[in-house]
Amino acid sequence: MEELFNRLISDPLARTAERILQFLPNLVSAVLLVLAGLAVGLLTKIVLKRIFVVIRLDGLSERVGLKALLAKGGIQEPLSLLLARITGGLVVFVFFLAALNNLEFGIIQNLIERLFIYLPSIFMALVVLVLGYLLGNFLGRAALIAAVNAGVRVSGHVGRGVKLFIYLLSVTMALELLGIGRDTVLLTYSITFAGIVLALAIAFGLGGKDAAREYLEKRLKAQERDDDFHHL
Amino acid sequence: MNGIVSREELSVWIEEVQRADILVGIPSYNNAGTIGHVVQAVQTGLAKYFPDKKAVLVNSDGGSTDGTPEIVRDTVVEDFSSLLLHHRVRPLFKLATPYHGLPGKGSAFRTIFELAAALDVKACAVVDSDLRSITPEWLELLLKPVLSGRFDYVAPLYLRHKYDGTITNSIIYPLTRALYGKQVRQPIGGEFGFSGELARFYLGKDVWESDVARYGIDIWMTTTAVAGGFRVCQSFLGAKIHDPKDPGADLSAMLFQVVGATFDLMDEYAAVWKDIGASEAVPTFGFRYAVGLEPVKVNVERMIDRFNLGVDDLMVIWREFLPGEVADFLVRARSLPFERFRIPDEMWVEIVYGFTLAAHRRVMSREHLLKSLTPLYIGRTASFVLETQDSGAEEVEERIEHLCRIFEEKKRALLDAWAS
Repeated sequence: MEELFNRLISDPLARTAERILQFLPNLVSAVLLVLAGLAVGLLTKIVLKRIFVVIRLDGLSERVGLKALLAKGGIQEPLSLLLARITGGLVVFVFFLAALNNLEFGIIQNLIERLFIYLPSIFMALVVLVLGYLLGNFLGRAALIAAVNAGVRVSGHVGRGVKLFIYLLSVTMALELLGIGRDTVLLTYSITFAGIVLALAIAFGLGGKDAAREYLEKRLKAQERDDDFHHL
Repeated sequence: MNGIVSREELSVWIEEVQRADILVGIPSYNNAGTIGHVVQAVQTGLAKYFPDKKAVLVNSDGGSTDGTPEIVRDTVVEDFSSLLLHHRVRPLFKLATPYHGLPGKGSAFRTIFELAAALDVKACAVVDSDLRSITPEWLELLLKPVLSGRFDYVAPLYLRHKYDGTITNSIIYPLTRALYGKQVRQPIGGEFGFSGELARFYLGKDVWESDVARYGIDIWMTTTAVAGGFRVCQSFLGAKIHDPKDPGADLSAMLFQVVGATFDLMDEYAAVWKDIGASEAVPTFGFRYAVGLEPVKVNVERMIDRFNLGVDDLMVIWREFLPGEVADFLVRARSLPFERFRIPDEMWVEIVYGFTLAAHRRVMSREHLLKSLTPLYIGRTASFVLETQDSGAEEVEERIEHLCRIFEEKKRALLDAWAS
């Protein structure tokens, strides 16, 4: 009876306790690593922010137009704060990964290993997304202003269309970098250019150049009568 | 300096001429239809008003393919007696040469400045090659104030239709006057007189690889002369009639170039204009007379339509830098009936100053910013046309004067915002 009790209850409990005791230092050190990461991350953010203020990074970003570029992308924070936050966040993230690794779970270690192999692709995909976002806003605005100045009635749609097209392109490229949907870029290009060619063919081929122009002017532009004064 | 003078054909020509009293420059690009008349007017003007001066005529050409330089070389005044000129006339040295460097009027002017410096001339004049209304008297009016030794820079003063020159009247003249304190009525006129000393000063500026070489040379010359403390005057030349511009010329590109050049100069000369409180008249020469001007066709409805389109689609951009009350006003103006559509002077000055500050602070791409001004400028022009449709020339000039005063009154606020 005692043997049975030991085999079914006592031994497993002892082994579990032993494992917990073995695991406990790892857990404690993991928690400590996370806490240390938070502290070091915060410290990094504060120190970097001060360094950036001393070297007048925000003034430089304003002079080279980076501030305007970020503002165009909807980011209002100064560059110094942005960089300090990102670096601080990365420090916390690295400590967090070290803490997870310290727990010595096979699956987690495997995941972390794969994550590190995957990291360059993630980074590149993020860069592509950020650039795509900024470029989309820039070109969308350029198209909007040009369309308004040309008197195109659907200028808002033109601007949004260009912006959306660039966004989609950058998302597609990011997915391609992450290895998701490898053929998507090719398909996107094919569909887009086929669409443009088809639209041109309909406008200028089937309808005739003059008819297409007349139609487009009637449809899209204000009724015009030339002014003949000199602006300068 | 060793740019063009090192070119062999030019060094030979300079060697031959050696020195000159007067240089008249004509920048050109495919102006075969009009440049003959301009050359004749220049030649006659020099013979009539400066017979004892050694003069050179320089055509700085941008690579014309219609025979413009050949026309310059071949054009001569055959019979001076028919022009009632009987005194001895010194021969005119002529040179038609292509300019080098970035394509544009500024590079053409650089060649003219370099030749003026090489020949050590006392006075220069530049005239456009597409002029139909130039007379020999223009040479006297542009050159004599300089040759008298009293002035370094002569700006033109024209009689123009009340709706002509709207960028000048609504932005460039009031703004430069408020900033630099000199009432130069046509700061981007196209015809100028200047001293040899000023030509050398221009030449010494490091701008010839910048946008000044391509466009904006007119406002750059005027502003540089005024801000540099040179003695400035203006001469009344009568009507300015020139070949019609390309009807497809893009208004927004024009605004981007001219207004952009003016804004650039604001940054460069901020230390100069900050200390200038009020404006003063500059001496004006020439006999004023009335001229029958050709009627001008304006489609105000279409203009207001363009303004409304801008308010609908560009307000999100303007709100980034225009004061809230200005943006709110524009929204209200969008719903005004045609006959009551107005953009008052005060509001227009707020808009222009808002754009100057946005350009100074680089809140967005310079091209986007300046091109987004187009619908507002068109709206302001429509408002001006509606306000002045029954007004005579004098009343219109009073309206422009009123606008200039508002620009000057609000300069203090601009200064405060500029510094913050």
